[in-house]
Amino acid sequence: MNLDEVDLADNDRFQRNEGWPQFDTLRREDPVHWTAEAAPNRGFWSVMKYQDIWAVDRDTSLFTSEKFVNLEEVDDDLMDIRRSILETDGQRHLALRQLIAREFSPRNLMKNYEGFLRELTKRTVDEALTATEFDFVEKISADFPIQVLARLLDVPLEDTGQLIAWGNEMVGNTDPEFIEHTIDSPESEKYKHLPFRSPTTQDVFDYGRALRDRRRDGDGTDLISQLANKLPNDGVAMSDKDFDNYFLLLVIAGNETTRHAISNSMLALIEQPDQLRLLQEDPSLIASGLEELLRWASPVYHFRRTATRDTSLGGKEIKEGDKVVMWFASGNRDEDVFQDPYQLDVRRANVDHLTFGKGSPHLCMGNALARMEVRLMFEELLPRLAGIDLNGDVARVRSNFVNGIKKFPVTVKTR
Amino acid sequence: MTAEFEADLVVREVEPAAEGVVALSLAGEDLPDWTPGAHVDLILGDGLVRQYSLCGRTGDPGCWRIAVLETPDSRGGSRAVHRLAAGATVRVRGPRNHFPVVASPRYLFLAGGIGITPLLPMIGEVSAAGADWELHYGGRTLESMAFTDELAAFGDRVHLVPEDTHGRLGLNGILGTPRPDTLVYACGPEGMLAAVERHCVSWPPGSLHLERFTADVDRTGEPFEVVLERSGRTLVVGPGRSIFETVRAAGVGVLGSCLEGICGTCETEVLDGEVDHRDSVLDADERASNEVMMICVSRCRGSRLTLAL
Repeated sequence: MNLDEVDLADNDRFQRNEGWPQFDTLRREDPVHWTAEAAPNRGFWSVMKYQDIWAVDRDTSLFTSEKFVNLEEVDDDLMDIRRSILETDGQRHLALRQLIAREFSPRNLMKNYEGFLRELTKRTVDEALTATEFDFVEKISADFPIQVLARLLDVPLEDTGQLIAWGNEMVGNTDPEFIEHTIDSPESEKYKHLPFRSPTTQDVFDYGRALRDRRRDGDGTDLISQLANKLPNDGVAMSDKDFDNYFLLLVIAGNETTRHAISNSMLALIEQPDQLRLLQEDPSLIASGLEELLRWASPVYHFRRTATRDTSLGGKEIKEGDKVVMWFASGNRDEDVFQDPYQLDVRRANVDHLTFGKGSPHLCMGNALARMEVRLMFEELLPRLAGIDLNGDVARVRSNFVNGIKKFPVTVKTR
Repeated sequence: MTAEFEADLVVREVEPAAEGVVALSLAGEDLPDWTPGAHVDLILGDGLVRQYSLCGRTGDPGCWRIAVLETPDSRGGSRAVHRLAAGATVRVRGPRNHFPVVASPRYLFLAGGIGITPLLPMIGEVSAAGADWELHYGGRTLESMAFTDELAAFGDRVHLVPEDTHGRLGLNGILGTPRPDTLVYACGPEGMLAAVERHCVSWPPGSLHLERFTADVDRTGEPFEVVLERSGRTLVVGPGRSIFETVRAAGVGVLGSCLEGICGTCETEVLDGEVDHRDSVLDADERASNEVMMICVSRCRGSRLTLAL
């Protein structure tokens, strides 16, 4: 693809899975690249190379999250209403994150959730494999992560369908299948005070607050109880707004991304069947090859930062206030770091991917949980399969933010 | 072992050395001798301790010079130093040297940004000793690169490579051909050092000497043994090297991401030995429990750690 044909603001291309050739061109020809946007947005810098992305992600004083972290430019007066820990830096960010961060440590997860997760995974696989043709997203990857989240939040199982629908709508806010007014349409203006400009966030807030109020002063150990009852270590209690946005983030972040990581990994294993065979012949490779699957899957294409002063990066003059977008998915295909980056290689050593961010205090808080979910799913699923093939077209989410699969028809043969 | 020097020193002079960089001259009585590559701790209060390389002349009695880049470290160490004015006092401990210069007929110095600081006195010393050397010094812009005025005296031995006009250091050209008579000394950001390491794999063992610096973490300390229970290996973690690097270099797979003790990715279970925690992930209770550690920065209080790796 020629440089003058690249347009990373065009969501349609990502729906056609045309992000990758654009990333390749930019890494080669213009690794810090300016993209113009339609008004009222002001355009953005795209950072495409692994080392540059790492440098931006770790420098929170030069590249702030406080001016929001998606391409959408949020009005100054609305920022505080919509701000979650994703858009908070410094001590307050750490204090809010530390309220529950250790619940997501590898050890605590293993201790508290691995047994439950293993059983849930088995059941999900059992149910899916009662048919020989099914949609992989619907039967395997969609509901599984949200059920884990439901357990962490300790919400009734019958509510999980509602949580899934909410998650789809928020993260798929550029895909007309999931939301009435996509964020790149003028109609979304009237919802600009709400996270993801989604009118149903109020329902999510109401749901979360009701849970919290019931658990106030109780002795529950679930995430909601901890958020309801613990004082952040900066001594400043969480406001209702803090809680709303925290709860919303947990519902979204724990749901969509893991789902797409599982779907993208499975699709890659179908397309590069020698790698599937390796994992089936030696299931111990699933744990060690997990990082390669996560590199491949890159379920989040990018996050955004904002320059706090004039600076230069890759020979480009970046001005104070400019949006600077870290394309993690591009960094995960950087030839200078990963040899033959388009080869899925589950035996690749030391895969230090950018899938969860890198060097940032904002590194995905649920990374160990996501790792566990993806690993358990493939450990349970792959040994049961004698064969798996595509059975129609894959449909992708219309989004340059989430690298998602909506429809993924497969036929399977079981052992 | 004699006790380490520690005293309140007086800030004699504060000079801008580049965009975002100040050079501080610190004066005191009976300052210990030091050698190029040495660093000192600045004890900034409230548990905040930061390491800075000495970058003055070794034969300058009664005065140490450090240069400090204002960086985004989460607790504001460099900002605290930048607020020091002439006449202020600051608690200093050291010096220690984990980056000493070994005698050689030829040297290749590679600096990235503020990583010039330990190399500057090295250059003075090897130059005076009559060794052959070259410096390749990369930075964001010429204005951001400290001490270019002092380096100008060395003429064409010094190659300044501002990224905005010259791109990155051309490591392929500089390190492409191994030279058995040459030692490489490199200091700079992690990405640059990782690239230098990759380029030096074909050089003779012992050619490459690195100093890693970050804003937040003291990575220095005595060597110790680490026993990897599952892999059945025992490794020695050298001074200034991390457990993470040591284990990876031995071919044992471990996860890591930030490599600065902030993200928690490299959390590892401790089976035996006492941990010297230096991360900002674990809380006081978790530290005290001695059950897990972040192997990218934390070290050992004794001589041996056993890990579930």
